[in-house]
Amino acid sequence: MVPFLLRRFRFKPFINPRNPNSNVLYSSRHLEPHNGFRPSHSVFGWTWSSQNSQNPSRSQSLSVIYRGLASEAAFVEARTSDGLTVDGIVEQRWPILDEGEGDWKSHAAAIAQSIQIIKKRLQWKKIMVRLDVLSAELNRPDLWDDPVHAGKVSREHGGLMGKLKEVRGLEQELLEQIDMLTLAHEENDEELESESMKALLLTRRSAKEKEHVALLSGDHDSCSCFIEVQAGAGGTVVDEMPGEIAGIKRATLKVDGDYAFGYAKAEVGVHRLVRISPFDSAKRRHTSFAAVAVIPILDDASSHVQINESDLRIERFRSGGPGGQHANTTESAVRIVHIPTGVTATSQNERSQHMNKAMAMAVLQSRLDQLEMARQAQMNAQHTQSLTKISWGNQIRTYVLHPYRMVKDLRTNYEVSDPDSVLEGDLDGFILSFLSASLDKHGDDL
Amino acid sequence: MLLPKLPLRPTKLFASATPPLFSTSSPPPPSPPPPPLKLPKPPLFLRPLISSATPTSLHSFHSWAKSLALSTPPDDPDPLDPNLLLRELQWLLQDATGDVGRSQNPDLVPLRADLGDLYGLWRERVLERRPFQYVVGCEHWRDLVLWVGEGVLIPRPETEVVVDLVKEVVIGRSGRGDGEEVWADLGTGSGAIAVGMGGVVGERGRVVATDLSEVAVEVARFNVERYGLKESILELKAYEGLTRVLVNWLAPWDKVQIRQGSWFEPLEDVKGKLTGLVSNPPYIPSRNLPGLQAEVGRYEPKLALDGGKSGMDHLIHLCEGSVSYLKPGGFFAFETNGDEQSEFLVDFMVSKLENNFRDVKAVADFAVIKRFVTGFRS
Repeated sequence: MVPFLLRRFRFKPFINPRNPNSNVLYSSRHLEPHNGFRPSHSVFGWTWSSQNSQNPSRSQSLSVIYRGLASEAAFVEARTSDGLTVDGIVEQRWPILDEGEGDWKSHAAAIAQSIQIIKKRLQWKKIMVRLDVLSAELNRPDLWDDPVHAGKVSREHGGLMGKLKEVRGLEQELLEQIDMLTLAHEENDEELESESMKALLLTRRSAKEKEHVALLSGDHDSCSCFIEVQAGAGGTVVDEMPGEIAGIKRATLKVDGDYAFGYAKAEVGVHRLVRISPFDSAKRRHTSFAAVAVIPILDDASSHVQINESDLRIERFRSGGPGGQHANTTESAVRIVHIPTGVTATSQNERSQHMNKAMAMAVLQSRLDQLEMARQAQMNAQHTQSLTKISWGNQIRTYVLHPYRMVKDLRTNYEVSDPDSVLEGDLDGFILSFLSASLDKHGDDL
Repeated sequence: MLLPKLPLRPTKLFASATPPLFSTSSPPPPSPPPPPLKLPKPPLFLRPLISSATPTSLHSFHSWAKSLALSTPPDDPDPLDPNLLLRELQWLLQDATGDVGRSQNPDLVPLRADLGDLYGLWRERVLERRPFQYVVGCEHWRDLVLWVGEGVLIPRPETEVVVDLVKEVVIGRSGRGDGEEVWADLGTGSGAIAVGMGGVVGERGRVVATDLSEVAVEVARFNVERYGLKESILELKAYEGLTRVLVNWLAPWDKVQIRQGSWFEPLEDVKGKLTGLVSNPPYIPSRNLPGLQAEVGRYEPKLALDGGKSGMDHLIHLCEGSVSYLKPGGFFAFETNGDEQSEFLVDFMVSKLENNFRDVKAVADFAVIKRFVTGFRS
């Protein structure tokens, strides 16, 4: 009961003193909840609080003070009572041993390393700069004259602040735990020492998990997505053979779920397959290609591109003959053309024309959103690679079934020798290695 | 959603006998009771899980069905599209199987029909050209899944647009007037347009649909009930105050009502009061009936297809009736056989029924065929 109350109390927010009109609520450092970073040992947090009050002499040094939260970049770096910082820990180059071995220094070094990786993946410096820009915007008295813009700014600010707080919370946690260990050691409190070691180990594990989560910190990573696969030339790619369905020329799949886009974007590019073609009676080796594009389905309706009904041409395709009562067919495929851009979308697998139209509209909406994002990215002079633009030269992975067996990612050199498992969907290794490689190579972003 | 009760409401077993023109002194000989109404089987996807099969036996059904689908002779003048058949096979299995996770034996797939029946159904589909929608007993139309079967026209994809046309008009006139608005669908068949309209005519709107066929009336009533459009007003208005509740309790009315009869005959009570009138009447010229696609010609009811010599017998009857049944400003939309009929009808309504209608025009379907004629009563 008591820890519950304490936790409740910790959530108490206060208004940002520098900008009392801001609708963003800030939490003071001491009242901040540790949700997300202390998955299972919040009781320990409470134990620590009571210890703290029993040792008033230490309470000052135990606390780490952040000031000026309104200007996020300007803050005093967190330190332990001995003046140790997270970067300082990294500089110590304490050896990182397995979880089961080593002393607290090994754990601390592992956590500090995770924090650095997370910061790199989140593009920490950029976040700081962006936060300053956004804070300045939020402070403008005329901000809410344009409510749409204001909403965007405050949403982005909120999102970045969330990331910032998570990382600072993790740093904070590490340093507090070191302080606790020092304290326990000084006072020969074995119980507290073993508690603190346990807590440190838990933090190490959760920091490792956060590394993975940080891989998926892109703007639309959390969205569902469409995946488009297009068969390409090379060898004999067969669309249809008489009497036998031998392949699919193009397919669009909808993938619903958290972080579908974040993961699937790792598959964007051209995939190359080398095999003895089952459609070649002479049993010769063939090379075929498939291009994969991935488009996020934006979940925030306000960021959708507005589509004018009058800009659309909706057609039934594969239709012919007089139609109407003359024809009985379950075919109700629909193609929608967005006339100003020439972008088209089709759907044929739903069981009614109405549903095919709705699905095609959803695909069209995503494609137009994607176009708009690419346009804006260009305007912002960011070098983001458009995911829909795939040239056939942009090969990312090779699947060889003959004469030897191997799947190799050309971007990361990650490879496995069992193509069957990969073709059946075991892609995790490829996706994770690509995501970490692409984010971790920007060393200077930290 | 209201789940349908199967079997349906008791069907009329005894049609009211026509009274004899001349009464005779001797009582008429007892005539044999008319045969009970033969209704199609309920939709496959709504039938209970009465059977099951092992995944292996389902797989062998699937490969057998697939090869049957791909074996259609190449010189068939009216061929089946193998791609379509394969998609239909997938849908058949989708409708016929239940959720494996809920079955008691995880090694068996629960089925709504015996596996043997599935073989029979697929043979009927491929070899006898029975329409897929009759095979599974349902048609997906707009966002609805409607019961259909022999004796009822399978609603076509083109016809979905009729509901969109009505929706546009409803949105356009929202805020005008405050009385109830009655919409009619004549020759409703499975009730597709009526049920679709029930969802778009707004809070003040209700739909009355007619059909001559007793089978169609029963099927349409089932579809109306399945989508909760019967007496839905009672629930809807229940929160609006005691008076409304009392009024509705005393005189409940259906959002969508199905009446049996020919065209306007069952609509005397709403004559001159209709806000809108739509229909997909039979419009195929009689001479074209023999050459129809096998699925249509062999299985679908002639009553719903045969439009007389020019195909326009019923369309012209509907246009003429609209003059007296629509209220001023009332909307109409009729589906036609295409360009020729639509152009003729527009001309007919503008010149022959002049001053009765305004904004009469032909509207194209998604295949760019002038499929509909729409307009307003002056």
